[in-house]
Amino acid sequence: MPQQPQAQPSPTPPKKKKIRVPRVINGVEQMVEIEVDDVAGPGWGPNDKHTLLNHRLTRVDGPLKVSGAAKYTYDVRLPNMLYGRVRRCPHAHARIKKFDSSAALRMPGVKAIIQTPLTEFRFAGSPVAAVAATTPELAQDAARAIVVEYEVLPHVVIPDAAIKANAPRVLPTEGPGGEDNLAAKGKQGDPQKVEAAFATCDAVVEAEYRTPRLHHCCLETHGMVVDFSGGDTATIYATTQGTFTIPQDAARELGLPQSAVTATVQHMGGGFGSKFGIGIEGMMACRLSKETKAPVKLMLTRTDEFLMTGNRSGSWQKLKGGAKKDGTLVAVQATQYRLGGVGQGSQAGQPYAVYRAADTYREIYALHTNEDSAIAMRAPGHPQTSFAIESLLDELAYKIGMDPVAFRKKNMPDAMYHRQLERGAQEINWAKRNPIPGGSPGPLKRGMGCAAGTWGGGGNDQCKVDVTVTRDGAVTVAVGTQDLGTGTRTFTRAIVAEELGLQIKDVVEQIGNSKLGGANASGGSTTAASLSPSVKDGAYKARMALAEKFSPLLGNAKPDEIVFANGNVSAGGKSLAWKQACAALPPAGVVAHGVWRSDLQTRGVHGAVFAEVDVDVETGKVRPVKLLQVQDGGLPLNRLTMESQINGGMIQALGMALYETRVMDADLGVQLNPSFVDYKLPGALEMPELIPLIDDEDKRELVIGIAEAAIIPAIGAIANAVFNACGARIRELPITPDKILMALAAERRSA
Amino acid sequence: MNTFEWMNVTTVAEAVNALKSAPSPADPDDAARPIAGGQDILTTMKDYITRPTRVVNLKGIRGLDKIESDGKGGLRIGALVTLSELEESPLVRRSFPGLAEAAHSVGTAQIRNLGTVGGNLCQRPRCWYFRLEEVVCLKKGGTECYAATGENKYHAIFGGGPSYIVHPSDLAPMLVALGTSVSVVGADGKRTIPLEKFFILPADGNLRRENVLKNEDIITDVQVPASKFAAHSTYLKFKERDSMDFAMSAVAAAVTLGANKTVSEARIVLGGVAPVPWRVPKAEAALVGKAMNNEVLTNVAKVALEGAQPLARNAYKVPLTQTLVRRALARVGGLAT
Repeated sequence: MPQQPQAQPSPTPPKKKKIRVPRVINGVEQMVEIEVDDVAGPGWGPNDKHTLLNHRLTRVDGPLKVSGAAKYTYDVRLPNMLYGRVRRCPHAHARIKKFDSSAALRMPGVKAIIQTPLTEFRFAGSPVAAVAATTPELAQDAARAIVVEYEVLPHVVIPDAAIKANAPRVLPTEGPGGEDNLAAKGKQGDPQKVEAAFATCDAVVEAEYRTPRLHHCCLETHGMVVDFSGGDTATIYATTQGTFTIPQDAARELGLPQSAVTATVQHMGGGFGSKFGIGIEGMMACRLSKETKAPVKLMLTRTDEFLMTGNRSGSWQKLKGGAKKDGTLVAVQATQYRLGGVGQGSQAGQPYAVYRAADTYREIYALHTNEDSAIAMRAPGHPQTSFAIESLLDELAYKIGMDPVAFRKKNMPDAMYHRQLERGAQEINWAKRNPIPGGSPGPLKRGMGCAAGTWGGGGNDQCKVDVTVTRDGAVTVAVGTQDLGTGTRTFTRAIVAEELGLQIKDVVEQIGNSKLGGANASGGSTTAASLSPSVKDGAYKARMALAEKFSPLLGNAKPDEIVFANGNVSAGGKSLAWKQACAALPPAGVVAHGVWRSDLQTRGVHGAVFAEVDVDVETGKVRPVKLLQVQDGGLPLNRLTMESQINGGMIQALGMALYETRVMDADLGVQLNPSFVDYKLPGALEMPELIPLIDDEDKRELVIGIAEAAIIPAIGAIANAVFNACGARIRELPITPDKILMALAAERRSA
Repeated sequence: MNTFEWMNVTTVAEAVNALKSAPSPADPDDAARPIAGGQDILTTMKDYITRPTRVVNLKGIRGLDKIESDGKGGLRIGALVTLSELEESPLVRRSFPGLAEAAHSVGTAQIRNLGTVGGNLCQRPRCWYFRLEEVVCLKKGGTECYAATGENKYHAIFGGGPSYIVHPSDLAPMLVALGTSVSVVGADGKRTIPLEKFFILPADGNLRRENVLKNEDIITDVQVPASKFAAHSTYLKFKERDSMDFAMSAVAAAVTLGANKTVSEARIVLGGVAPVPWRVPKAEAALVGKAMNNEVLTNVAKVALEGAQPLARNAYKVPLTQTLVRRALARVGGLAT
């Protein structure tokens, strides 16, 4: 029998109100208007009064992960399962002339070969075909044995070349997705006014900043296991950021109704914006499974992962900023190129929203190259924009001889930044830094820099949560959402446990299955603020329903007077242990349905980072010494996870600042470093001391996501610390030893 | 990787026979190959850079995994000795500290636990053009070294042309500095050659190889002779990423010091800057007879980099390597830097 909610809806339908919330489409948050109930329910209460939330909770899936028991998509093995491998196009631009898979199909163990629907390939690495075979090795051999002949077409992979009038054309002339290599995407401000404003400035800096295309580097590569043997139903084991982004597309490929397809994602090895929908690899897995009537596992190789799963948009930003001697930022002018390959790329508009200038003008363009499409990656567009503006502001501050912290504060309208910068400066002992760039003695020079960031982090109404309490006292919270490793399982349990006066271990969560209640895709830092209000609502409704049932046991106390705490339910001097009380429930127990409440969350986070580095001016080596981030986030659901998020953000920022870059060969049009040997992620020895500081002065009793906020400011802070240390301003990321040595040599020559 | 025949052997003679009797390859990179730790060859096989039809496992050969004294203060190091064993050997650490440092600088602990001395010397280039399956460069039988005009940040500033690879071995520069010989067994029996002559420049020989080995040749051991300078040896490797990386540049240095830090013998060999370990005799000569001080070392460093011919993107290697020369010599000379 289906269970009915025990909590009764209010007798009169609540008033509605319209609000704007972020919804994630392919990893990018877009603001949409929705209608919600205009009621204020019980809130979270003061941030310092929680029994579990805002504490340091070890993650509930931690033991499974460190012991290897957690099952990822990569670990799934099914009877009769075939393995898929992909054949990629090696040319940056080519049209297919001949495709002959007959010999490959005759190879041992090979069960099916399918071609992708593409006939013209606009980047090297574009998938051409896929093979299903009885082992991954046989599939790989067969993929290589397919005979493909191409008509090779002119390509361009370097932005400086692509912008030229006579450059090879990247995208089609017309039709969907057709536009010129350089495509205007918007203008804002008054160019004449800005130009006039520069004339009133005491200092003007004009410079170009560049950030390379970067890879997500998920520990688990993209892919899925399609459990379909030609019957009426299918299960998709997916490594995805959106359980509910899978069934529809998979069903279409398999020729099944959407309701016949279940997507499951129990544990997944990271997405960072790259894993929404089934992807072309999922499409191929489904088609291979459909053709062979056998389960197919198609996980991309690491090389595939670098070459065909998208990457962070690069940027090329021409900025001009002007300031008064007193530190007032007067004008900012920007020409911003989004380097999105065959895609649109992303870049927040200049000047970055943290700062205000009286007069601003910007032009934004997409500048296309024959490279894989940029896709969402942790805080799409923000790290690029932040690095450039933070560098420009730093240059201006040094030019007018003003402390970079004071200069920033002067131009930050939001006072929360002032507090965060002051705290960070105090914690890192900013006052003790050498204010003269390169001024410290000896070859190893220490420097400090700072920067700030901003993000939304609000939620939307997509999460539907069931909280079930049974007669044996077992508590289950069920919702189809996914845990990307961000701690979703843990806070989901914690909210219910706290509401019912229990401990984390007393609650079990069921997540990662599309047959459970709906949930949003995890992008744009929207998960916590979307899920937690629904969980809270379900938990609260469950508590009220339980209280009604327990009331007769507690002297007919009013439900809202019954206290759930410390594993007991109590009222009027009477107290029952949890299990004792639950034993009195009806056979079906209690089920409550939680829906989203906008009044339990909000959007808008800040964040300031201070970086301390040593630069060896004789080798160009930067040794990161310390990274410190002051981060607000409303109510921290789990302090430990929030600190981990901040640390993880700082580490990814460190990679972007100092190590990572996608290297392309202009003539061959191929990526030269599609491996973890040559694509240099920072490792253990690169780690500085990481200091994540939660800004508890943020008294908002509301949930906000901070995952993306965590990656934004550290990049500019590190770049500025490098300048403070050695006097070389590196305007193109990553800041590698060769660039520092050459910049220092150029400075010596000009001095 | 391609399918291949796996052969276990227990003697060097069997190994040589197994390699020699393999079907003659269509391409040099299809030839039968020996495998020991597999830390490099497996990566080339997985990327189809080498496609051996037969792989001969040397790990079953007894006696090649020992570090022994030669009775005269020198060392005989078997080709199957792992890099971990080398870096941890008390004998090596005491008398040949630079060699222990060079071994320690390689890859990661996992790689060093499996990688061998012989394998380290026979590594294929790390050039990213060479390592891409789709790119048929000069070293793979093509007609062009794409690094010459392409992305050459990590490439040669000495000895380049027509190929601009750098030799990836960390042991090689140090062993060359220490005057090491290498013993090789092939179809015609055993021969011993100075390690300095083992590596070949692209301009001097077969572009498809980095050394004088023939297909059926097996390195059995290297001999590091006793020397006055071995005790004052060091290997200074500069990595872009400390956690795991090949040398952007490296310096193997060894000196014999007399009174007042006067240098009577010097060996300076550069790594990461040339297709072979790059000894700089003029710099050695500039140091001999001098008392070590910072001024002398600055001059020696300058001399060491004379004649460097940087490509478009690797001019930084000149000042970087100068720094490393200076610092390596300061370290062996006990000078503060």
